[in-house]
Amino acid sequence: MSNTLRPYLNAVRSTLTAAMCLENFASQIVEKHNVPEVEAGNTKEVLLNPLIVSRNENEQVLIESSINSVRVSIRIKQADDIERILAHKFTRFLMMRAENFVILRRVPIKGYDISFLVTNFHTEQMFKHKLVDFIIEFMEEVDKEISEMKLSINARARIVAESYLSQFV
Amino acid sequence: MILLEPNSYVLEETLLARFTSEKPEIVDITLVDFDNVVYHVQTSAEQRNLLNLSVEMKYFNEVVEYGAQDILKREYGDYLVPTANPQYQITLQFNLEQLPADKAALAKHVSMLKRNMLASSFIRAFEYWESQQEGAGPLMTTHYRDNEAIYVQAQQDRVTVIFSTLFKEEVDRVLGKVFLQEFVDARRQVSIQNAPQVLYSSREPPLEIRHLSNLRQDESVGYVSFVLFPRHFADMESREKTISQIQLFRDYLHYHIKCAKAYMHSRMRLRVQEFLKVINRAKPDRVTAASDKRTATGRYMRPHLRQPTSPQHVESDW
Repeated sequence: MSNTLRPYLNAVRSTLTAAMCLENFASQIVEKHNVPEVEAGNTKEVLLNPLIVSRNENEQVLIESSINSVRVSIRIKQADDIERILAHKFTRFLMMRAENFVILRRVPIKGYDISFLVTNFHTEQMFKHKLVDFIIEFMEEVDKEISEMKLSINARARIVAESYLSQFV
Repeated sequence: MILLEPNSYVLEETLLARFTSEKPEIVDITLVDFDNVVYHVQTSAEQRNLLNLSVEMKYFNEVVEYGAQDILKREYGDYLVPTANPQYQITLQFNLEQLPADKAALAKHVSMLKRNMLASSFIRAFEYWESQQEGAGPLMTTHYRDNEAIYVQAQQDRVTVIFSTLFKEEVDRVLGKVFLQEFVDARRQVSIQNAPQVLYSSREPPLEIRHLSNLRQDESVGYVSFVLFPRHFADMESREKTISQIQLFRDYLHYHIKCAKAYMHSRMRLRVQEFLKVINRAKPDRVTAASDKRTATGRYMRPHLRQPTSPQHVESDW
């Protein structure tokens, strides 16, 4: 792991742990409703300041917290066309299976590649530290997966080209 | 399965099955090949021992100009029907009772039909080179698919083959670029330096065909030129081999782009499963051994449903 990745992930981890201090909070505007306040955004006094943890301009995490929910959006590194396509395909693939990943949002926030929404119900039913672990592991693995896929495409292309051209010899 | 075969395997199989079957059955099968070629195998309506093979080939009129008719006569003259069935360009007829001894070889030979037709412009170019004329030969175009074409041109010392290929979607285009770049770079290796030179450009057509009017010029189109040197077509054997291989270039490229995509997809599936395991670790175990405990009477123990037994409660009972 490179030496800038470790502090980046540590910062995200501690920020997330601090932000996931959630409690049940029914809507003040509509009776008998209980919505994630960070999504609704109607009650300004329960929203906290959003926070960006940034490794560089291509890799950022936006953490928006509120009284009963936290929204975490991740921007994945995309250096060239291939990485852009791979990242897009991969996040789309995950988001299509969002109901299995309880905390995954179906659509990312604008400007980011993938978003998670953790509500107080999630933290009540699941271990909070494991949820944080999941998000951190996701961030680690996604970069690794994309660079591995890119390598394998290049390797395949080389083998394909060589075996075609070596027929002519 | 890295390389593709020049013949149509399914056509070979189908024909061989009919050739070797004991009694002629009525068949009516439609098969497809690369480049939108359609084969139609059908028993003759009147005589059961006659098997018709009709071929639909969009670019047949073009290859006829480059001498495809002669090749057809030379290769399949015994079976060729003078007028093809309507909507088909070529019809071959086999009399199942008068087949040559080596039926497998015949089936194989017939399955090369598309390859032999597409070869005509290449053979023309090689012949032009043999005649040692001054200057460049005619530019021969075969529109083997809609919007995609092969251009063949003979020069004094080489033959240039240019493929224009279309990438339908963005992902294909990017992957195609990676693959084609490797084709260009692969020749640096010592072991394959004798391979034809490969040049690749996206959107900008190469010099040889730049004067043509109806070329597409956008991101989705790619031009690949192969420069064949005399050693690739000097003798008959290497000539046939070169033709078979170079024709399949587009199919080969696109086939491997699809394979790469399929591989990516299966990898993502695997990775998603891994992630699911990680997120499921966050859910506490609800089913534990304790919940399965039974009492002596056979009832389930439900610890959280039991009434709290407080001392006051006991006293009031008294």
